[in-house]
Amino acid sequence: MASSAAILLVGLGGAGCAMVTRLSAQLPAEVAMALLDTDARALSGGGPGGTLQLGRAQTRGMGTGGEAALGLASAEAEEPALRRLFAGVPVVVLVTGLGGGTGSGAASVVAGFAAECGATVLSFATMPFSHEGERRMRQANDATVKLGQKCHGLVVVHNDLLLQQVTPDAPLSESFAAADKWVGGALRGIASAFAPGALIAADPAVLKSLLATPGSPTLFAFGVGQGEGAAMKAARAACDCPLAHAPGTVAKVASLFVTVAGGTAMTSTEAFEAVGAVRTRFGGETSTILCARIDPALGDRIEVAVLGASLPTPKAPAKPKKGGKVEDPAQPIFEFATEESMRRGLFGGTPMTFIDGQDVDVPAYIRKAVRLPPAP
Amino acid sequence: MTPKPLPPLIAVIDIGTHKTASLLGQIINGEARMLSFSERRTDGVVKGTVTDLERLTQCVHEVVNDIERGSGRAVELVYLSLSGPAADGERVKGLVAVPAHDGKVTAKDVAEAVQSVRRLEPPKGRATILYMRQPTMLDNRPVSNAVGMAGKRLEVNFWRVTMEEGNMRMRVGMVNGINIKVRDFILAAHAAACATASDADKQGVLVIDMGAGTTDWILYYKEHILCAGSLPVGGEHLTNDLSVALRISRETAEDLKLRFGSAMHRENDVNQTIWKDGDKGVGDQQFNRGTITQVLSLRYQETIEFVRKDVLRRLEAIFPGHAVKLDQNMIPSGVILTGGSANLADAAEAVQSVMGLTARVGIPKFENESLRKPEYAGVVGLMAAAITDAPPPVRRPRGFLAQLKELFRL
Repeated sequence: MASSAAILLVGLGGAGCAMVTRLSAQLPAEVAMALLDTDARALSGGGPGGTLQLGRAQTRGMGTGGEAALGLASAEAEEPALRRLFAGVPVVVLVTGLGGGTGSGAASVVAGFAAECGATVLSFATMPFSHEGERRMRQANDATVKLGQKCHGLVVVHNDLLLQQVTPDAPLSESFAAADKWVGGALRGIASAFAPGALIAADPAVLKSLLATPGSPTLFAFGVGQGEGAAMKAARAACDCPLAHAPGTVAKVASLFVTVAGGTAMTSTEAFEAVGAVRTRFGGETSTILCARIDPALGDRIEVAVLGASLPTPKAPAKPKKGGKVEDPAQPIFEFATEESMRRGLFGGTPMTFIDGQDVDVPAYIRKAVRLPPAP
Repeated sequence: MTPKPLPPLIAVIDIGTHKTASLLGQIINGEARMLSFSERRTDGVVKGTVTDLERLTQCVHEVVNDIERGSGRAVELVYLSLSGPAADGERVKGLVAVPAHDGKVTAKDVAEAVQSVRRLEPPKGRATILYMRQPTMLDNRPVSNAVGMAGKRLEVNFWRVTMEEGNMRMRVGMVNGINIKVRDFILAAHAAACATASDADKQGVLVIDMGAGTTDWILYYKEHILCAGSLPVGGEHLTNDLSVALRISRETAEDLKLRFGSAMHRENDVNQTIWKDGDKGVGDQQFNRGTITQVLSLRYQETIEFVRKDVLRRLEAIFPGHAVKLDQNMIPSGVILTGGSANLADAAEAVQSVMGLTARVGIPKFENESLRKPEYAGVVGLMAAAITDAPPPVRRPRGFLAQLKELFRL
């Protein structure tokens, strides 16, 4: 199933496959897709791209029943098929829901194979709702730590955060639509940047250099604006994107990858204004890679997607000053950040405490999905 | 002339997640007079659980040194507070059929019932720390003193507190390591109640001691403890939520919590901008006050809600099948909120809204004015509880040599 596409979007497990299927309609042709699951029934309908059933011998097509160990073994058993899938693909975007068996167990293995095949791996992982209880949360936390070590970029979407996006009486499907919007926007942005038609284009190697340090926190934001001043509106929306404000994400990063997409009326001034606004908010002092593209289908809408990371900047060996410290250029700027310590703040590293099935060390406002008033 | 014997000493140590406090007093005419007090920042305790024994021992040692130096007397026995989920309680009962010849309960019957309770094994791996008396029932009617009354079925009830054996040994060993013996453990929530609730309150009152790492609660009904519990959530969680939400350090979050925090979120807060330092200089940051009160009030009210659920859960275990309601009829004195986290603005109002009971902040009653603050309810109450529950042993008359030794310690 080796493809010539620049980006391979992989849905892993039930939640991942569902999201990829929903997104498939709105993605550009440059994105190839594949669905991976242990549940044969889930794959039986086929998918937008190819499908691969994991762990035929381990689960006999029944799914993992929430067992991460089974998910892990299932993925390991399909090593040759997975390596064939990832061969020659420059960028792999892995979408998965953590907490269950297939996602939690297989994600780090699948990401590991993809990275070993030479692909830049960017993962979008959703964390279970607080109400889903202790076991799934523990499993998801363990999985994020492992996944963070294997892939180049990891964006964690807390399902609790999705609930904050909608009014309390909105149907559940609407809150999932928020996740689709973010991940879909990111994919459209990245994919079209590599496509031939982009105004300001980039190549996949750019993503590789941006996300060079596995395990460093990845920043992601997405915003849409419409009508007059659409670019600035989109930039502001991206700055306020809940994903960039989720606990544990970094406030400022060294390198940014910003894509601006708009209809035929978008002017370069607008595009650069938007990038300026995003840079003020997120940093990007070391390097900001800008991609712009015109998509007539967008009309008067403008989309801004931001991906950022803080990688150790290779400095020229400084002349040792008298009494001055010589910095080791290989020293990462950030401590290794695990999802657990990021989300639980000061309590990171202490045993989790569960009351009513909720990890009470996680801030109450996150678990209750309450949107906080904006900063002044 | 032989020197006059010194009055007996009473020393208590309250090890909290945030601070370790100790009081030393002497008993004169059945009342404690404070001799010295010490408090230090606790090291090695997270959410009420000991994580670094060595550092905690060091901390307790320093506190004991302080009170000894402050009073010039040597401490031999201490009372330790017991808080956090490590100590768990349950109701245990002993049943005796009163012999039929005259149908009157004798002291021997009561002793036998109590003995049968003491013979009950604690859950595996746990040690019984203390028994707290609950109403005695004679033929399913509560009686204050059953001796001499007529009846058939005598039931004595206790609230038994057990603790994991290893944990208990560690705590006792820690104190023994600095050459002091543990006289007794006292439930922290009970101590807090002794400092803040009157005997009249104990007809029906829920005392919530919200500290830094744990929230301990105790429910009194008709002067007896009905049930008690503890949750590993406290003021540090308030600080943590704030530091996560605003992406600020723990210290800054703690400072903002104290200055601008509230347990109630009001619409008006959203329009207020506050400055971290106030000088609007380099490094000063501005925040929306609404964010601070929103984050804190959600956590505060959630914690109280957890307490409410815990109380109901334990009541259900005691009275299976009965729909127990926490209302003004059962708890006429309402909620007394104490501990360091009771200092948060509007705390009582938040408790009132969640519990649906009247609530007030409990200030410990004590001779020394500087200790009349909610955060000292634990240590002040320990001393009060120690005197009434388990007074220190009366010293036997000692020989001249022993008195001389005591003299030289001065």
